[in-house]
Amino acid sequence: MAKTIAGSEKTIAHPNGNERQHAVREERPEGHIPDFQAIEESAGFRELMRRKKAFLVPTTVLFLGLYLLFNVIISYTNLLDATFIGDISWVWVFAFGLFAMTWILVTVYMKRAAKFDEMARETLVEFNYDKEENR
Amino acid sequence: MNATVIIIFLVIVAMTLVITYFAAKRTNTTSDFYTAGGGLTGWQNGMAIAGDYLSAASFLGIAGSIALFGFDGFLFSIGYLVAYLVVLFVVAEPLRNLGKFTLADMINARFNAKKVRGAAALSSITIVIFYMIAQLVGAGALIQLLFGIDYLWAVLLVGIMMTIYVLFGGMTATSWVQIIKAVLLMVGTVILSFLVLQRFDFSILEMFAQVKTATPHGEAFLNPGVKYKIPLDTISLMLALVLGTAGLPHILMRFFTVRDAKTARSSVMWATWIVGIFYVMTIFLGFGAAAFVGSETIISTNPAGNMAAPLLAQALGGDILMSFISAVAFATILAVVAGLVLSGASAFAHDIYGQIIKKGKATERQQMLAARYASVGVAVLSITLAIFAQSLNVAFLVSLAFCIAASANLPVIVYTIFWKKFNTTGAVSAIFTGLISALVLVSISPSVMNPEAGAAIITGNPIFPLTNPAIVSIPLGFIGGLIGTLLSKESDAKKYAEVKVRANTGGFRQL
Repeated sequence: MAKTIAGSEKTIAHPNGNERQHAVREERPEGHIPDFQAIEESAGFRELMRRKKAFLVPTTVLFLGLYLLFNVIISYTNLLDATFIGDISWVWVFAFGLFAMTWILVTVYMKRAAKFDEMARETLVEFNYDKEENR
Repeated sequence: MNATVIIIFLVIVAMTLVITYFAAKRTNTTSDFYTAGGGLTGWQNGMAIAGDYLSAASFLGIAGSIALFGFDGFLFSIGYLVAYLVVLFVVAEPLRNLGKFTLADMINARFNAKKVRGAAALSSITIVIFYMIAQLVGAGALIQLLFGIDYLWAVLLVGIMMTIYVLFGGMTATSWVQIIKAVLLMVGTVILSFLVLQRFDFSILEMFAQVKTATPHGEAFLNPGVKYKIPLDTISLMLALVLGTAGLPHILMRFFTVRDAKTARSSVMWATWIVGIFYVMTIFLGFGAAAFVGSETIISTNPAGNMAAPLLAQALGGDILMSFISAVAFATILAVVAGLVLSGASAFAHDIYGQIIKKGKATERQQMLAARYASVGVAVLSITLAIFAQSLNVAFLVSLAFCIAASANLPVIVYTIFWKKFNTTGAVSAIFTGLISALVLVSISPSVMNPEAGAAIITGNPIFPLTNPAIVSIPLGFIGGLIGTLLSKESDAKKYAEVKVRANTGGFRQL
């Protein structure tokens, strides 16, 4: 159920017939528009954006770069046709490297993103916007 | 068609109809209809994404391609899988945080302009229609082969089934059909892979050694260059695959079926593992078919190699396994087309009718009716087009869909999330530049123009040399957005601050 920290609660009927609780804040009248520029410029949010960028930009360059490199090499050269072990050539090794890269980056990102979630929540808490009403 | 095929086939159909029946009871609002009420968990949605993504082209097409062309057949899989990193890093979370039912919702979280919504809806519809014709024509041909019924009946059968799922069960039924299909597909592929590996004494080295001498290509089979010989064309195609997934409407729509960005993220993780493991197994299927069925038999049954997997099942497990694999292929087709109908219907009913014509003031009942009419409309339109397109070689339509998705949808998504100065003029020009350049370039490419009479729609020398124009049209989409933005003075830093905060924190979803 909806967790509320501050503010009163009211219950509204959901079209499904279920009742869902929505926290409604007394100090914020209906139609209230949050000051997004203030949030954007806050230290916490800026740090979140900096950390996201520090992870996403290099990894995106890396994976797109390796992917394109692979395609350029196999299209224009025979470099990877050399044998790796038995009848398996390096091209399979590189291809599996790209598979492994995808799985590794997804796993690493899942870990990082948990931290990003925490920072995002802190920002919302700081501005008092962390409630169910904002979902 | 023997009794086993019919029984397995009927069991699967019955299972999906039972699901549809229960889903129908829970489909009361537009949110239930388009997004299953946003209540799917990470693994459920991950399986459904995999179910949406692993089309008959992936299952039968890639297995067949590997059987006939070796490494080159596997090339598609690499692009399809790496594409999920683009989905995860760039689109999944902002899409969930900003949107409601469609891609246009997400872009309009920033602009709230009819022309932007209209443009986004148009590109989604175009992609869906092309993708759908390709799937239905492929489905018709396959079902014709698998079950021995006429093309017309095959297309109608698939068309009617998909319409039933969507019309009555909405996204809940569609999602569960996709999940069941993903499970069946994985089970079928694991069984086949196991049987293949058993024949090679579970030695990958042994498998490579035997396949090397099993095909007419000899050693070249194990290296690139058997199928794709024009370097720039290969690179262009691979670019469309890796960047296109993040713009496909039926994949994007799946991120609205979960409650928050965290679940969206974990669904991509699930999808990446399922899709990746599946693609690894297609190598066993392809190599197995090359070794135990042989290219001659594969080609004589279907020149594109689509029957490689069912034929392999027949060779290794007899009629029962063949029936099971055929039924799985049928379920595969159904799941993909149902997802496509929903994404097309949402663009028509939610974007064009609900938001543009009714200005967001349609009642819940009107919206539901519109959603259902639109679903039937999209289904009837694509069935009709598919019946007329029977004799066309439609393989290029799928890569065209990926190309439009990458050229028209991806630039506008990236700019909306990351570029402060981006504005409505830029959004419209990004979408149209990408869409039109992809369409025009394909229509003058070797896929449409071929000097050999009957080989393509138009007989003549192609004006544009590449089969897939992605390498030109994707940059054009980005440049279009850039120029459009700079030509207009309009800019709203405040609104961008809002979008940036909402996209990155997941708060303020009601706004």
